[in-house]
Amino acid sequence: MKPVGFQFAQPDTLAEAMQMLRDVSEDTKIMSGGQSLGPMLNLRLARPEKIISIAGLSELREVDEGEGFIEFGTALRHAEFEDGSLPEPISGMMRHVAKGIAYRAVRNRGTIGGSLCHADPAADWITALTALGATVRMVSAQGDTRDVDMTRFIHGAYRTELNSDELLKSVILPRYSSSAVWGYYKTCRKVGEFADAIASWVADPKKRYSRVVFGATAGAPIVSIPLSRQIAVTGIVPSKEVIKAELERLAPDLDRVKKHLLAVALQRCTKQALNHD
Amino acid sequence: MTETICINVNGEEFTATVPPRTQLAEVLRDHLHLTGTHLGCEQGVCGACTVMMDGRPVRSCITFAGHCDGATIQTIEGGDDPLGQMLTEAFSRHHALQCGFCTPGMLATSRDILTRFSNPDEALVRHELSGNICRCTGYQGIVAAIMDVGSQIDTCDQTRTDDIRRAAFTPFEPEENLNAAPDPATAGSVVQDKDWTVITRSFGLNHPVGDVWDLFSDVSRVASCVPGASVAEVTEETFSGAIEVSFGPIKARFGGKGTYANNLQSRKGHLSGSGADKNGQSNVRGELHYDIVKKTEDTSTVDVEFRFNVQGVLAQFNRPELVTGFVDFLLQRFVANCNSVLSGGTATSEHKIGAFSLAVAVIKSWFKRRKT
Repeated sequence: MKPVGFQFAQPDTLAEAMQMLRDVSEDTKIMSGGQSLGPMLNLRLARPEKIISIAGLSELREVDEGEGFIEFGTALRHAEFEDGSLPEPISGMMRHVAKGIAYRAVRNRGTIGGSLCHADPAADWITALTALGATVRMVSAQGDTRDVDMTRFIHGAYRTELNSDELLKSVILPRYSSSAVWGYYKTCRKVGEFADAIASWVADPKKRYSRVVFGATAGAPIVSIPLSRQIAVTGIVPSKEVIKAELERLAPDLDRVKKHLLAVALQRCTKQALNHD
Repeated sequence: MTETICINVNGEEFTATVPPRTQLAEVLRDHLHLTGTHLGCEQGVCGACTVMMDGRPVRSCITFAGHCDGATIQTIEGGDDPLGQMLTEAFSRHHALQCGFCTPGMLATSRDILTRFSNPDEALVRHELSGNICRCTGYQGIVAAIMDVGSQIDTCDQTRTDDIRRAAFTPFEPEENLNAAPDPATAGSVVQDKDWTVITRSFGLNHPVGDVWDLFSDVSRVASCVPGASVAEVTEETFSGAIEVSFGPIKARFGGKGTYANNLQSRKGHLSGSGADKNGQSNVRGELHYDIVKKTEDTSTVDVEFRFNVQGVLAQFNRPELVTGFVDFLLQRFVANCNSVLSGGTATSEHKIGAFSLAVAVIKSWFKRRKT
C-alpha cells in the first residue's frame, strides 16, 4: 500500500529542527532512518499529517570520545556500527548487535536513535543499551537538555520518556575495561525477523558492574538484579529452572513459551560471554 | 504539496516533482519509467525493491522521495558494469531465477555481498541473503551463482575485522547498579482463549464500595475514565461512542456500539461492544466484566476481566504481545482515572482526544438529537 499524504520537512540544522518542534501537533512525527515508520506509513497504520526528517542533521551524527564514556549521535546508522568504523565502549558488542538488526539494506538507513525512540520491544538496541548501562540525552524545542538512564527511558511498547517537543540527541555509553565480558543472544524464526526472545549480560569486574537484561517481551526490557549478581559471583551459566523462576517473579504475564525462549537465550548469551562456546 | 528532487539514476541526472509520500520505487517506476525495480510487500521485508543508493543497498519501498534528493541510484537497468555482468551471467548459468520477480533485488544484494566479503562461503551468503525472498528457486541457484562469482573475483573494498577480544572471566561481587527496583508484578493474568485475549486484573481503590459502584454503573462516567473514549448516546441497555487510541505511531479511532448490564445486588456488571476503525480497516470486539468488592469501610477492590479480539489490518500487523501490553497499559490508566474521578478530580487522557475531536463528537450527537 501507499502512505496517506503527508507534509515533509527536512531541517538543515538542529536549531531549525528544534524550532519546528515548537509548534508540533499531535499529528507530527519525527522520522530518522524511517525503517520502522516507513512500513507503518505504507500499511497506513500510521497516518501523520507532517513528518520532520532528522536523519541528515550533522549534529546528530557526531561522536564524542570522553575520558570514561563515548557519546554517539542518534542519527548514526546501524551499518556504521556494524562496520566497526566507530569507537567501541566495549570490545565488539556494538558491532555484534548491529550486525543482527534486520537486513543490510535496512541497516544502511536505520539509525540507533530512531530505534530507541520507536521503542519496539523486539528491537535490539533497547535491550543492548540497557545492558550496557547507557544514558540518553534529549533536547527540547526550548533548548533544554536532559539525560535519562535507559532503564527509565523505555516505558513500554512504543512508549518512551520523550515528550512531543523533544528529540533524542545522543546516547552516552560508559567505557568498559579490558576485563569486561558480554553476551548477547536473540532467537528469531528467520534471520532478520522480529526477535522472539533476547537476552544480554554485561559484566566488568573492574567496575563491579553486572547486568542481565531480557528483551523482546511485551514491554520495556527487563533487568534482573538477582541473576546479575548470581552470574557475576559464580561465573557459571544459571540453570533454566532458576531463570524461569526469576522470570515468573519479574513478568508473570509472559507466556510459557516466551519464558522458555528467554531462559535459553540467557543461557546461550552467558555461555558466549564466559567463553564456553 | 509536492517537492522537486534531483537524482542521478544509472549515470543520468533526473528531476522529479512528486508528493512527499512518494516512495523511491515509485519515482523510479512511475516517473522515470524504470520498471525493472519491483515492488513486493511494500513493508521492507521481501527485498524485491532493493536498489543501490550511494553505493549501498536500500529498500526503495520505505525510502521516501525527500530522502533521495542528490542521491546516486543504481537500478537493475544500470547494472551492466563488469561485476553486474558476471552476476547476470552466473544467475543464468545456475538457473538462479524462474519468474524473475525477486531478481532485481537479488542482484542488488548479491552485488553488496561481493563488495563487502571476499569469497564468501555458503553460510555467509545465505545469511546475508536472508532479506530477499524468492518463491520459485529455493535459493539453491542464487547462492551457487553468488559463490561462483565470489570465487572468481575479489571486489571486496574493505578489510573487515571480526576479532572480538574476549576476556577470561573472574567472578566478583557486583555493586547494585540500579537505583530503582523493578515494578512489582501486577495481580492477574493474561491468557489466550482461541481468538480472544483475556486480561484479568485486580486493583484497589481508596473509596467506599458504594461510590465505586455508582461510578461503574454510570456508563458515561465510567467511559470518561477510559483513555481516549467518548460516549455519544446511552439508553437503558445500550451505548454508542468512540475510542481513540494512539499506540506509538499507530493511531486508530474505533467508533461503535454495545450493550451493558449491571446487577446492584452482586455489584457485578459488564460492558460489551464492537467497533470499527474505518481508516485503518480494523475491527475490534471487547467485553469488560467487573466485580466490585468491599474491602474495608473506605476501600474497595475491583476485579476486572477484559476480553478483546482485533481483526483487520491492525491484526495483520501480527504483534499480539504488543497489543496486549498496550491494552494493559490502558487498564492501568483507567484505574488511575477512576481514582481521580472518585476523589472529585477529572480523568486525564494520555491520548489527548483534543478539543477538536471532542467538538466533533458533541456536534455529531447534537445532529443525532435534531434528526430524531
